[in-house]
Amino acid sequence: MADKKRKRAMGSLRPDVDDILDWNSLPQDAFAPASSAEKENFIQDRESVSYWKDAWRRLRRNKVAMVAMVIILLIALFAFVGPLLVPYSYDQVIPGANNLHPWHYSLEDLAAMDPELAVEEARAAAEAEGRELSRVEEATIRAQAKAAGTEDIKPKLFGYTNDELHRMENGEFVFPHVFGCDNQGRDIMVRTMIGARVSMIVGICCAIIVLVIGALYGSISGYCGGRVDTIMQRIVEIIYTIPEVLIILLLGSTLKPIFEEFQNSGDGFLQQMVTLLGANLISIFITFGLLYWVTMSRLIRGQILQLKQQEYVTAARALGASGGRIIKRHLLPNCIGQIVTTTFLQIPSAIFTESFLSFLGMGVSAPMTSLGSMCSDGLKGLTTYPYRLFIPAAILSLMILCLNLFGDGLRDALDPRLKK
Amino acid sequence: MAKYILKRVLMAVITLFIVICLTFFLMNAVPGNPWLSEKTPSPATIAALNEKYGLDQPVIVQLGKYLENLAHLDFGNSIKMQKDRPVMDIITNMFPISAGIGAIAIAWAILVGVPLGCLAAYKRGTWIDSLLRVICTLGISMPGFVIATMLLHILTGGVEGLKLFPTMFDGTPKSYVLPCLALGFYPMCYLSRQTRTAMLDAINQEYIKTARAKGLKNGKIIFKHALRNALIPVITYLGPQIAFTLCGGFVVETVFTIPGLGRYFISSIQSRDYPLIMGTTIFLAAFIIVMNLIVDLLYKLVDPRINLTKGGN
Repeated sequence: MADKKRKRAMGSLRPDVDDILDWNSLPQDAFAPASSAEKENFIQDRESVSYWKDAWRRLRRNKVAMVAMVIILLIALFAFVGPLLVPYSYDQVIPGANNLHPWHYSLEDLAAMDPELAVEEARAAAEAEGRELSRVEEATIRAQAKAAGTEDIKPKLFGYTNDELHRMENGEFVFPHVFGCDNQGRDIMVRTMIGARVSMIVGICCAIIVLVIGALYGSISGYCGGRVDTIMQRIVEIIYTIPEVLIILLLGSTLKPIFEEFQNSGDGFLQQMVTLLGANLISIFITFGLLYWVTMSRLIRGQILQLKQQEYVTAARALGASGGRIIKRHLLPNCIGQIVTTTFLQIPSAIFTESFLSFLGMGVSAPMTSLGSMCSDGLKGLTTYPYRLFIPAAILSLMILCLNLFGDGLRDALDPRLKK
Repeated sequence: MAKYILKRVLMAVITLFIVICLTFFLMNAVPGNPWLSEKTPSPATIAALNEKYGLDQPVIVQLGKYLENLAHLDFGNSIKMQKDRPVMDIITNMFPISAGIGAIAIAWAILVGVPLGCLAAYKRGTWIDSLLRVICTLGISMPGFVIATMLLHILTGGVEGLKLFPTMFDGTPKSYVLPCLALGFYPMCYLSRQTRTAMLDAINQEYIKTARAKGLKNGKIIFKHALRNALIPVITYLGPQIAFTLCGGFVVETVFTIPGLGRYFISSIQSRDYPLIMGTTIFLAAFIIVMNLIVDLLYKLVDPRINLTKGGN
């Protein structure tokens, strides 16, 4: 009963006398300053979590996004480091490697498979019988030997040319053609690496172009408002309705001769840049710069329209900050999440478009390659050499898929409000 | 409403005008002149030819002439692919095939994609939803040519015993199957994803609760109440999808060797037949712009909630 009485009711103003009396029975050293060891236990200071750390924590919990990220990193490694490790270059023609399969037979198997061997045997047998083999008989034996030979002899992984097999016999190390070679005898794996590299570079460059133009245009349009905004949005609406693929194809077909002429006009820095990138790649960049920024600019404008009503913008303006500074220091950093996700999701869409163009023969120029143009090369021998098309196609699809999945994860992590 | 339609039509016309100007100026910027193709004529002849065809006049005057010709649907003549054949003739000859395949592809994409999206939303969180999500994410990540070549390889004899369809396009119903399948796959996945999101939104609305409280059957709730409202945002995605399908047709027609406008357009680019490129670009652009306009207007008509007078979007 007494215990119960001491528990005072919530909100009661009566002081808890017993408790207060307890205060007096403090030990002697109660007021001694705390030692540093004690202090460490006492101050429960949590490290402040920054926006990026927070996002990274959320992202890390998203398993799909993490797997996608790992695959992207692996593909990036494959594309950027791979060509350094493989001793072949993407345009190197390996003698005798035309149409090489990604598998090989060892020299003994090859010898056993040789139909001439069976023919020789039969010929010897026939001679023993005292007659000669006719051509037809020889051909039948050859065909039979060929069919029988491939049945019980299993091919081994990776492609080697006969020459390379002989060199390996002599103890030399020969780098295998893991994916075989194409019809001109070029190593498909190196070409796939270079193609993936081109795709990634195109994706990243286009995303940066879109980011710069879109962010600039959108923020100015949103911040200025009024008549400026109306006019700028009319322009956006018009560009939005232009069918972009047609314009890309058109630009690709007309800019190419223009750039070629420019390329041959001199030997300056710009001309060298054109030679390095190729006219088609530049036209892809130009089109992205011209057309694809509209989505980004709309998004940023929407965000800025919301943000500029906030008090801190008014405060900044009252302190005399210029419009440019407010956009740069206050508005854009506050919609960074959206900007990052939209920019990132531009990468797969740019890769998608580039592969589409390359497949149609409008992408990167001839000695250079990209996954799309490898697929279009592979289309010609689809029935005999399906792997020539499906290897680059698989890597391309995997790359776009993972970039999309990671982009989705990034959006969820950076912009938790959007998550449903 | 009339004001809104007028505004949209005006915008479409301006867009088309910009596309035409762009094509015209690009055509003029291409180095070389049309008389250089076979043997180099003397400068006097070139001057005479330029005068005859009005090429000595200022660019603006030429643009005016070009627009005037376009108004008569005169796109000029092909200079390389099919010498001297009017571009308009080629377009009217080849476009129906492309349009047919595109229409079938879009039709099956809608007929399959929308119900699948509904199913995924309805069975949210189950294995059906996960499976559909995997398929659809894959579908929007694979470029059209990957799907087209895979179908071509697997179903036309690349895999033993699976020679179900002809390799070459010959106009028979059977040869339509694969191209339409390949072309409609991306829009199908896209539409199904969008339908799923829209359906999830709709299912959580109050009026669905009311319908349930009234004791309506599940099917009726889904199809009569939820789907109708969910379809409104889906319509907006249809416009871009039509454009996408038309352009995806370039790839599919190349893979399946279909004698449609898309493949012809690509080969005209490769052989640099400029009048044909320009004519086809303008024609296709006009087609896409008109389709977008129709879809946009349809959207506003379907949804009475949208405010038309005060800049609804």
